[in-house]
This record gives sequence, structure tokens and C-alpha cells, in this order.
Amino acid sequence: MLRRLAHPLGAALGLAAVCGVAVAHGGSLRGATGESMAIPTWLFLSTGGAVVGASFLLASFVTDRQFVASVHGWRRALPAPRRLLAWTGRTLGVAVFAVLVVAGFLGPTEPLRNAAIVLVWVAWWAGLVMATYLVGNAWPALDPFRTLTRPLAWVTDGARDLDADRAAWASTAFLLALVWVEVVSPLADAPRLLAAAALGYLALAAVGVLAVGHETWFGEVDPVARLFRAYGAVAPVERTGDGLALRVPAARLTERVVHTRGGVAFVVAVLWGTTYDGLVGTPAWATVARAFVNAGVPPAILYPAALLLGFFAFHRLYWWAARTARETAPTYTDAARLAMRFAPSLLAIAAGYHLAHYLVYFLGLSPTLVGAVLSPLDPPTAMRLVLPAWVSGLGVAAVLVGHLLAIWVAHGTAFDELPGRLQAIRSQYALTAVMVFYTMSSMWIVSQPAGSPPFL
Amino acid sequence: MTEAHDTGAVTDDPGDLADATCEHCGERFPTERLRDLHRGLEHYRDLDDRERAAYETAYESETDDLRSFRLRALAVLVVLYFGFLMTYAVVTL
Repeated sequence: MLRRLAHPLGAALGLAAVCGVAVAHGGSLRGATGESMAIPTWLFLSTGGAVVGASFLLASFVTDRQFVASVHGWRRALPAPRRLLAWTGRTLGVAVFAVLVVAGFLGPTEPLRNAAIVLVWVAWWAGLVMATYLVGNAWPALDPFRTLTRPLAWVTDGARDLDADRAAWASTAFLLALVWVEVVSPLADAPRLLAAAALGYLALAAVGVLAVGHETWFGEVDPVARLFRAYGAVAPVERTGDGLALRVPAARLTERVVHTRGGVAFVVAVLWGTTYDGLVGTPAWATVARAFVNAGVPPAILYPAALLLGFFAFHRLYWWAARTARETAPTYTDAARLAMRFAPSLLAIAAGYHLAHYLVYFLGLSPTLVGAVLSPLDPPTAMRLVLPAWVSGLGVAAVLVGHLLAIWVAHGTAFDELPGRLQAIRSQYALTAVMVFYTMSSMWIVSQPAGSPPFL
Repeated sequence: MTEAHDTGAVTDDPGDLADATCEHCGERFPTERLRDLHRGLEHYRDLDDRERAAYETAYESETDDLRSFRLRALAVLVVLYFGFLMTYAVVTL
């Protein structure tokens, strides 16, 4: 018994030790950026990559199926008045939506003094998304589009069955379009436009509900609902049939969260979307973009082209990993099935990267958010919280923790999917290589001084 | 359940024409050892004595392979650790 416990315990301690070192490095290095890094960038990046690779090796020491399954299956029911919470959420969501529209059209045009801008970008896109993967997904209750289009469901004759795969692909296309709009448009600075866009999205949702039905639109097609569901799968709080349950963070990712090839594409799009968002702010991108624009490529084409090319590259790379896993394991399990089983692990990475990208932004602007909530039509002058330098170091730590979770999730999934223990470990080679590459590229982006994308 | 492979294949490397099917659910496996492991995990109640013995043999043979994998993984970890230690020592000199 002791021997059986010794392996997982040893591995957990080892993993914790590596994490500790990584966090320490991250903190000190990130704090040092701006002036000069204490060590060269290549060493900083390869350390990050090595931490992920080493954590794969350490995870491979844990081969006790029962232990792995018990970690992921651990649950504790949380008593929760679900109906009350749902109604509170709906009321709050619609109220905030109303404030957004009114403040967007009538409030001051100065971006950070306008409640619409602050509510959408600080409270929703940074804060609520963070809460979704750190705590749980409250969006289905809050979603004003879902609440406001509900009456339409009584008018239309109900749900239409949509091919799940095509719906997921449509959702992926919508998400990429949203990322593009978010990056290129002045939505972050123009409150009138933002309020109009919110109404436009409501109109789109209404058309969608009329076309395919309320359930199908919000359950399959709507990219925002799907995005929150995806991030919610990382969270420790899970919605069950009769309330809420507490789980080990990211444990739900080992289950069948993704059911179609389109679903795989969506997860890859979430990952690439957060990366693209960071990438276009780096000085390296500015250099590349200037070179292209000087060569005659209009920025209006350059940005969507880069978005699509990057998505395509990420998607191909992931499928390469799934196909390679089939050979290295070896297994006769479909590459598509492996791709669907392992795709959720990428969500932990996306969550880590989102946190790295938005934590400082959210904390820094939180006083502005409070001001905007207390007095939506005439908020006080925008204030920024001055944060200690180590907070930005949490960004690098978040990227690494996201990857370590992803490695562990992929390990657990492989043990759940494949009969052989060695086979399960071998199936992880290609995916680990992809994750090492991914850590290094996202740590590179996080370590760059962030600027605003050129030509926009 | 006509054929029981109590010897089991020794590795997971698919050799020439190595191919095994689970008689209980029809799933195919690249090696007999993987098939035996699958039977033990998924259909243990339905197995006869020879199949159970094959599962145990497969499990033990896999444990041996895991042990050698762990040794190699440990070696890689040691190399990584000292490699980085040296690199940091040289770079921050």
C-alpha cells in the first residue's frame, strides 16, 4: 500500500518543486523586463519549455489507474438555490445590458469614463471570463441575449436539429470573426459603436433563434455561449442535475467535453484567439506588419489573413499531434477520437494565457469599474490601481500553470482512453512536443513589451 | 473465447502482422498484450481463467517495461536539471 502511494506522492511533490522554481523564475524575470532581463530570452524560453517537458516526465511516474481516476472523479456537492441564482443572474444580466446600451449612447465619449466600455472590456471580457475558469460558468444565467430572446422561442415552433459538427464549425468561424473585430475595430474606444454592436449582436441572436431555435442557437451555434462553456470546463465548480458540485480544477477536461471535429476546431480557435490577441501587440509583429504594408499589402487584408493562417497552422499542428499519437502509442483508436479526447486539455492552456493577458489589466482598472458601476451615466475620472511589480510576474506563472494542468489532464485522459499504461504515456509524446512549442511561444509573447497593434 | 493467449506478447511494438481483436466487444488492438490488458480492464467479470492469467501476465510484463521507461525518464530529468544548472552558471557568469 505504501509503495503504491509512494509513486503518486513523489510525483506530486516533484511537480510542486518544479512549479515552485518556475514561479520564482517567472516572477523575478518578468519583474526585470522593461529594463533588461537578467538572463537572455532564449534561456528564459527554453526553461519554460523544459518545465513543461519535465512535468510530462514526472506525470509519467504516476501510473496507478485508480489514483488518476480518483483525482479526476472527486466531487463534493455544493448546496445552491439554483432557481434563485438563475433568476438573479437573468435580472442582473438584463439590467447590465440596459446600462450598457444607455451609457454607450448617452454617456461621456471618453473611453475609460464610459460605463459601456468599462462593463464590456473590464467587467465582462476580462473579469467574467477569469471568474468562469477560476470559479465556474455563470454566463448561461447572466447572458442577456439568451434571456431577451427567450420570448422568441414561444413564437417559433421550437428547436431545429442541426448537424452538431457543422454547428461547431459555424461557431468557430463566428469566434474567429469576433476575435478579428475585437482586435481591429475601435470597439474598445468608441462607446457609441460598442452599444450599437451589442444591439447588433442581440439582433443576430434573434435571427439565430428564429432560424434554428433557442436551445440550438445557444447550445450549439452562439460562439460566446460556447466560449464560456469551454472556459467553464476548466473551473472547479460544475453544474450538476440538482445543484452545483466542487471538483479538482480542470478535472472535467478529462471527460468527453468535445464531441465533434468542429468542436476540436473551436478549442483550437479559442487558443489561437488569445495568442493572436497578444501577438499583434508585440514589437516583432509591428516590424513584420510594417514590412508587409510597405510591400503593398493593405492592413485590412493583413490582419484577417494572419488570423486565418495562424488558426490553420495551429489546427494542423494539433491534428498532426493526434495522428502521431496513434502511431507512437500504438493504438487503432481513430485519430479523430484521440483529437476530440485530448482537445479539452488545450483549454487549460488558453485559460492560463487569458489570465496572463488580462490579470494586470483587470486589477489595474478595477477602481474605474467600481466608479462606473456606482454612477453609470457620469462616472468619476478613470483611475488606475498602481500594482506592485510582482503582479505582472503572475502572468508568466499563469502560462506555466496552465500548461502543467494541460499536461496532467492529457495524462489522465490517456489513461482513461487507452488500455496500456505505457501506451498511454507514449501517446503523449507528440502532444507534449506541441505544448512545449506552445509554452515557449506564449511565454515569448508575454515577455514582450505590450503595445498597440500598428495600422489600426 | 476459443483462443486464450496466456503467454501474451511481450511488448507494445506491433511486429509483423501483429493484430488482436477482443472477442467480447470486437475492438481491435495492435498487439496481443494491449488486447489482454483491455480485456482485463473492461470485461474482467466475463473472462475465463486463462484470459485472466493472460491479463496478469500482460500487466506484469508491462510493469517491467514501465520500470525501464521510468529509469530512462529519470535519466532525462537528471540531464535536464544539470544541463540547465550548468547553462545558468555559464550564462550568468
